[in-house]
Amino acid sequence: MKTTKLASVFVFLPALFFPGMASAQTDPGVRSSTGVNAGQPFASVTASPNDLAFFQTGLAQFNEHQTVTGDNPGLGPRFNLDSCGACHSQPAPGGTSPASGIFPNIGPNPQSQVIANGVVNGGTNTIPYFVLANGPVREARFPFFFDQFGNPNPNAPNGGVEDLFTVSGRSDAGSCSLQQPSFNTAGSTNNIIFRIPTPTFGTGLMANIDDSTLLANHRAQGGNNLGISGAFNHNGNDGTISRFGWKAQNKSLMIFAGEAYNVEMGISNELFTQDRPLPGEDQLGSGLPSNCLNLARVGYPEDITHSGGTTASTVTSDVGLFNVFMQFLDQPTPSTTTPGGATSIANGRRLFSAIGCATCHSPSLTTQASHLTPGLSNATANLFSDIEIHHMGALADNVSQGGAGGDQFRTAPLWGLGQRIFLLHDGRTTNLLSAIEAHESNGSEATQTELNFDQLLTPSQQQDILNFLRSL
Amino acid sequence: MNMRISHFLTLLGLCITLLARAQGAPQSGGDFSSNPQPKKLPTETILVNGAWSSASDSVTPLPEGGKVANNVYNNQYFGLTYALSPDWTEKYSGPPPSDSGYYVLAQIRPADTFKGTIRGSVLIAAQDLFFSLTPASNTLELINFSKDSLNVDYKVEQPPTAVRIANHSLIRFDYGSPVAELHWHVLATQIRCHMVQFVFTGRDTKLMESLIQDMNKMSLPDEAGPISGRGGGEVPVCVKDYANGENVMERMDPVFAERRFNPVPVRIIIDKEGKIKHIHFLSAFPDQAKAITDALSHWRFKPYLRDGHTVEVETGVMFGRAPRPAAPSSTNAATE
Repeated sequence: MKTTKLASVFVFLPALFFPGMASAQTDPGVRSSTGVNAGQPFASVTASPNDLAFFQTGLAQFNEHQTVTGDNPGLGPRFNLDSCGACHSQPAPGGTSPASGIFPNIGPNPQSQVIANGVVNGGTNTIPYFVLANGPVREARFPFFFDQFGNPNPNAPNGGVEDLFTVSGRSDAGSCSLQQPSFNTAGSTNNIIFRIPTPTFGTGLMANIDDSTLLANHRAQGGNNLGISGAFNHNGNDGTISRFGWKAQNKSLMIFAGEAYNVEMGISNELFTQDRPLPGEDQLGSGLPSNCLNLARVGYPEDITHSGGTTASTVTSDVGLFNVFMQFLDQPTPSTTTPGGATSIANGRRLFSAIGCATCHSPSLTTQASHLTPGLSNATANLFSDIEIHHMGALADNVSQGGAGGDQFRTAPLWGLGQRIFLLHDGRTTNLLSAIEAHESNGSEATQTELNFDQLLTPSQQQDILNFLRSL
Repeated sequence: MNMRISHFLTLLGLCITLLARAQGAPQSGGDFSSNPQPKKLPTETILVNGAWSSASDSVTPLPEGGKVANNVYNNQYFGLTYALSPDWTEKYSGPPPSDSGYYVLAQIRPADTFKGTIRGSVLIAAQDLFFSLTPASNTLELINFSKDSLNVDYKVEQPPTAVRIANHSLIRFDYGSPVAELHWHVLATQIRCHMVQFVFTGRDTKLMESLIQDMNKMSLPDEAGPISGRGGGEVPVCVKDYANGENVMERMDPVFAERRFNPVPVRIIIDKEGKIKHIHFLSAFPDQAKAITDALSHWRFKPYLRDGHTVEVETGVMFGRAPRPAAPSSTNAATE
């Protein structure tokens, strides 16, 4: 009897101590009651008519839909979508994957609508199995080449982007006839990984953080007692720290824009001057067939600086305009009260730091002086990232980029997280708790920190962290 | 004889040709309908490594080579044996060693089957004194640096203090987070020029004390201590920066085929004759490891003398691009 009573006390006490245990903490979801809190230019840009005009032209170009020929030529012959702004749209132009039914209800995954919208011919293209109307915009890569029998060959790393669609069958594509990659085989053999668009808000600030600041932050992480180390990816040309993309593989926003224009939309430009074949076609094959080249009939590169322009906006190439647009995009504005109230958010912020999340998700870094606009100068970038690459264990996508191995990812900047729908590099989840859970696995630097969150905090404390993250 | 060689070469050429044809040109796509059951890749598995750890042989113990078996963590390199509490386990292995000499040796937690309410974890980690970015030359200094670096979210509960555990002197440092209601108790010692630390994290300080008391059952090598721990005896003596100056009698720089920008920390063991007998790459791409291995085979060192006898010596050499460390500490206790 005595033993039973004692046992009851031991069962009861923890329930008292962790009162929220029975009612599990939940991801508050995309913040919708505070309006759209991203996508605006810096105040210093708004205050300068020339800079504002430059920004607005960049925004218009960012949202423009490209075609194979015509007024906005160059699309294809392979591509993932026909506009930057179609993929980078949540919660505002410059963001990430949109959705319908989730604030601000931008619409279904635009990749799922390409046949309906006439961007691709349904007779020559199919919508890949992983593109869903209510899913994220996705870029696909095959970590390994296939052998001739369709078996992925681990001794032949690939990792390049396999564009989803071709221009074949479009009325403006002539006789160009290309097959889509073998997505079904890749899926059935686990030889496919996905990436979703990275949000570009505040990226001008990220570009303007000097290497010395990043290195000092790295040194300060020493002695963290959490199992975390980290490293930097470097630009192969000048050896400085690179910082854009899921693996911090790109040095600058200009490179980032030029590569995306070429890889995602098939538009050659002054940085990436050729139309891009698939990795198998180019590196180990014959390249694109001649009847798929120069489809725009303007020669190469398809996007150029315009010598006949009369203003900065009309002289600058599309890629240059994308760069300006991103450089001038201010960081998202967090909410101090939503969700969960000011106390919970403030508490969550302290807990986020206390259990170790902030070791990698560095709350802020300071920029250096800027030649572009005062808003970028000596500013506090609240990016929640150290811009380092970390071993993330089972999240590995087995794609190596620059110095980053298959299991290493840049610490994802968390600013704007409150209004993102799809999470992690491949958009596998919309649930913040699942995304946090994915941080622990064999080989992950974040296992100990995730354990602190998952096992050592009370549900109420966990909820505070979730509220804080959705306030960003 | 020449005929035989000629036949052999012909056959070899034929085999290579056939092999090449069988494998075909790698491709990213195509019609593979003739192969209804292609081979699948394993999921959630790291198949493409970046800079990673490796060693010149598979026999010499490595710092990261410890394992949990039969509820005991055993690390041959450090001469360390630590019994886990009943129903505790290593659920996930750690990442590879870092390029600044940091090792996650084991991450211990209650097993999923554990029925109680115990909430805590034990992180066993090591930081070498060869490549650390922290301006410290021994474990005590590293722990003091850790204390001095604590941000405002934490409160020191017990400053670094010498304690006696398992018949050895260790440094104990406790701190906590009032907002998280969590506590960290760090117990550290130095073995072979590495700070080896046990980090207990939890809400329940009684549980943590109990776990710390259980540490008395662990075994450590004789050398273990807060500022000693410089090898010797049956293991090599460790000397920071031994591969410098007059100690190196012959050297050859590696020739890298590809320009990279990562630090490549290399731990070497030099035999009594001054030749390198073991190479451990904490973090290197395969091509870097190959080039450095080739170069190190030409290195010759002045044999290391201790008490008038030549002994094996262990040290670190940084290749590639070294990160910029913080200002050096005033003392250099890891250098004999």
